[in-house]
Amino acid sequence: MLWDPEALDSLDDAAIGDVLQSWASFCGCNDALLCGRGDLSAGADLVPLVAALCGYGLCSLVQDHFLHSLEEAFKSNAVLKFWKHFDAFSDASKLGTTDFQVQENWTEEVLSKSLEEICLEKHYQEKCLLMLVHALQSYEESITDEKMKIQDYRSSLTSKYQLMVSSILLTTVPVHFPEILRSYFKEKLEELSNMMAVGHEEDGCEFQFNNIGLGQPSQRPIGVGEMDIDTCYHGSTFVKNNTLVNNIGKVVCDLRNLGFTSMTEDAYASSILLLLKDKVHDLAGDDYRTPVLGSIKEWIQAVPLQFLHALLVYLGDSPAQDNESSGLKSPLASSPSYPGIEMPSEGLVRWQLRLEYFAYETLQDLRIGKLFEIIVDYPESSPAIEDLKQCLEYTGQHSKLVDSFISSLRYRLLTAGASTNDILHQYVSTIKALRTIDPTGVFLEAVGEPIRDYLRGRKDTIKCIVTMLTDGSGGNSTGAGNSGDSLLEELNRDAENQESADYDDDTNLDDKQAWINAERWEPDPVEADPSKGSRNRRKIDILGMIVGIIGSKDQLVNEYRVMLAEKLLNKSDYDIDSEIRTLELLKIHFGEGSMQKCEIMLNDLIDSKRTNANIKASILQPPAPGSEQEETCLSLDHLDSTIISSNFWPTIQAESLNIPTAVEQLLSDYARRFHEIKTPRKLLWKKNLGTVKLELQFEDRSMQFTVSPMHAVIIMQFQEQTSWTSKNLAAAIGVPTDTLNKRINFWISKGVLAESVGSDSDNHIFTIVSDMVDPNKTGINNTRCEGILAMDEECERSVASVEEQLRKEMTVYEKFIVGMLTNFGSMTLDRIHNTLKMFCVAEPSYDKSLQQLQSFLSGLISEEKLEMREGLYVLKK
Amino acid sequence: MTRRENQDVQDNIPPAVDTAPSAAKQPAPAAKGLDGQSVLKSRLQSELMSLMMCGDPGISAFPEGDNIFCWKGTITGSKDTVYEGMIYKLSFSFPTDYPFKPPKVKFDTTCFHPNVDIYGNICLDILQDKWSSAYDVRTVLLSIQSLLGEPNNESPLNTQAAALWVNQEEFRKMVEKLYKPA
Repeated sequence: MLWDPEALDSLDDAAIGDVLQSWASFCGCNDALLCGRGDLSAGADLVPLVAALCGYGLCSLVQDHFLHSLEEAFKSNAVLKFWKHFDAFSDASKLGTTDFQVQENWTEEVLSKSLEEICLEKHYQEKCLLMLVHALQSYEESITDEKMKIQDYRSSLTSKYQLMVSSILLTTVPVHFPEILRSYFKEKLEELSNMMAVGHEEDGCEFQFNNIGLGQPSQRPIGVGEMDIDTCYHGSTFVKNNTLVNNIGKVVCDLRNLGFTSMTEDAYASSILLLLKDKVHDLAGDDYRTPVLGSIKEWIQAVPLQFLHALLVYLGDSPAQDNESSGLKSPLASSPSYPGIEMPSEGLVRWQLRLEYFAYETLQDLRIGKLFEIIVDYPESSPAIEDLKQCLEYTGQHSKLVDSFISSLRYRLLTAGASTNDILHQYVSTIKALRTIDPTGVFLEAVGEPIRDYLRGRKDTIKCIVTMLTDGSGGNSTGAGNSGDSLLEELNRDAENQESADYDDDTNLDDKQAWINAERWEPDPVEADPSKGSRNRRKIDILGMIVGIIGSKDQLVNEYRVMLAEKLLNKSDYDIDSEIRTLELLKIHFGEGSMQKCEIMLNDLIDSKRTNANIKASILQPPAPGSEQEETCLSLDHLDSTIISSNFWPTIQAESLNIPTAVEQLLSDYARRFHEIKTPRKLLWKKNLGTVKLELQFEDRSMQFTVSPMHAVIIMQFQEQTSWTSKNLAAAIGVPTDTLNKRINFWISKGVLAESVGSDSDNHIFTIVSDMVDPNKTGINNTRCEGILAMDEECERSVASVEEQLRKEMTVYEKFIVGMLTNFGSMTLDRIHNTLKMFCVAEPSYDKSLQQLQSFLSGLISEEKLEMREGLYVLKK
Repeated sequence: MTRRENQDVQDNIPPAVDTAPSAAKQPAPAAKGLDGQSVLKSRLQSELMSLMMCGDPGISAFPEGDNIFCWKGTITGSKDTVYEGMIYKLSFSFPTDYPFKPPKVKFDTTCFHPNVDIYGNICLDILQDKWSSAYDVRTVLLSIQSLLGEPNNESPLNTQAAALWVNQEEFRKMVEKLYKPA
């Protein structure tokens, strides 16, 4: 306690007695005042006592003592009681939150009540303090006239007191208090949010933000001022709303009063963010078909911002105050001000930006996490992609997207269980979706890399791609054929683009346009891989990217040729419009030269149609061997041929077949007529190809079929003889017995033939089923035969597949390698490679890489045909 | 060795063309110079292809280095002959007017045979006056292979071998003694 020794030295005994007496009564008065519980009557006595003590120069002593006793009283009266209120909470939180949540309004009640109490106490003490100030003031007045000093007393004492209060509270604050505040704000905000939602439904028109446009966020005026409670919001919700905000405001005010300013801010900030996060999750959810960014922004305007606005206004941080001082200066408040709309305070603008960024980030994280699913239903989920794009524009966290998406791709798509078709469809969707998000294609490149690498390892990739290219339905895909993914469509678009691009090229030549283009140049995003070349070369072209998987277009064209051949050979009419269209599109993309063979194939079909018609016309003139034709009952009308230039077609699988003489005659007649028309060309029939339409007539029924020639030949044999053994039948038809057994299953499954085991287990007997078979029985048979039939289809391809061609090539190479090693003894890999390149030039010419050759040679080594000695290959003896 | 021979062949081009006695009987090559060359090349290519694909046992040949006019051949002695199991190397060189002229064929491996001299030259009618353009590398190889088992002792190049032929056991010993695998 401060003591002025000099002042005491100058005092005489009487004065000392006076001082002591005054001090004693001051202390008594002081105690009475503080413990008086609202009774301020003792304050009146304070004036003369203070004056007396101050007269002796004990002014500072008086102040210190008074503050000290205030502190003691505050500690003992208010603080302990205040914290006691929250003990229950700490117990509850220790036990677990479930108990706590039951008592919903607990925090609210306790908090506001205890706050009220402590504030009341504080208020009372402040009054006491004011009495002291008053006493000091009157003493001062009695000795001087200076007004300035009085002010001094008051402000210094009040600030000292304020400091004291906050320091006491902050040093004694229990650990769970911030948690209490947070849950309080959370509850209140939820309440507010619910009320807003109701209000939105009830009088939505009044609650609109007319100026909010999703498309132009930068131009959007920050319309919070519009929501000014007094001007545009009324009705029952408003009243509730207002009281609610006022309640919260009061609590915040009290807390600030007690010195919990930063703690309070933390609490409501975190609860707002938490609520915002919940809201985003709630709105975004797993629905990708609607854009949610707009409604999230609306919600930010409607709930948290309004809350903050009201709070700031309540706390005295009103827009009016800030308007002139900081509002104009703030770079954040860049939005143009409209007449009639109050300038929002800087704090509010900051809050809005902060909340929006947070919302973008939350939504972005949510969408990135689910990007795989979003892309799976891509065309439908484009709103989600749009949202994500906007979010990424704000946050710039593209690399997050790339990393997360690649890892989910590896985990979910690039596995052995996924069909190549699905992977390709997903790849196409990915390309389309990422093209929206990032038109420069930098991220697409990063994401596409693992998919491409994986697809290169799959054998059926090319086949799937060609199927996707040629028919929109996705071909034999397992139902995944989404018409939106069709590459054919892409081809179409590509063709259109190409045309317009050509057009551009013609007109862009003038300098002005070139200058404009140059001005439009933008640097690559920082994430771009510099080794991948610049963006100009990285034009996003789905077809290009798909072809990039395979590596060369030749392979793709080859596969397409095989597929086209298969398709054309199975056509019974000459309708090839769709094929022509596809071919034209492919020609635009891959160039005329590489599609030449395919074009010849299509031309063959067109020529066939014409030739076929000519041959038919020739019959009408002189029916030369008429007698024969009448006998066979078969006229050339029933025969249509496809005449192919076999040099340009893929290898066609030949299979010998003895066809019935009547048909044989018909064919030779046709060939003769062809020769007449097209001398010197001759027609060679591929008897196993094509389709036969036939009708089987039984005593009681007739059945129609469209089958392969082999099937037709088999069933025709039963015309003369109702029962055959498999060996005899095979000999009659001229095919191996096992081939016959496989093919004849078709007729057995149709219930036309019946199979029975004869004397020899290898030699089955087939008999025609003359009477109608019990349908149930065939039903059973059918199920059994489905599998066999499916298997049958597999081996019934008429055109050698690309794999078979490859195998054939490889046997040629093998013979060459054996030949050269026989004559040269041992050779290095390089020499074998060069020798093959030089001498294996006829069809199929050697076009493999050194690596391919090496792996082929190691295959031969493992087959024990070759040996490797000191880096040289030798024949194994 | 082979290279020199090759040069010989090329040096001989003008007389070979001018004095070709077979030119009267056979139709002359349609075009000479570059075209003729490329026709010849493709003929040899297809001969190589058919030789590789037919896979006759015991005979083989392949162009040597980067020159399709010089081939190396391999013949394995047929079963039940004194040459059984022996592997003989040959070299082929094709004249520019092939197939109207026969290829030059000789043994690289020493071969003890009535119709083969110590330098490896072969006395075989189809490689001389009985040559026809219908023959190809494969038929030449097959002929030489059968010549090993059935020598023409009427006009021997190696009289010692011709004399010894009657005694097959002694002949076999001689063959083995003189055989030097490549």
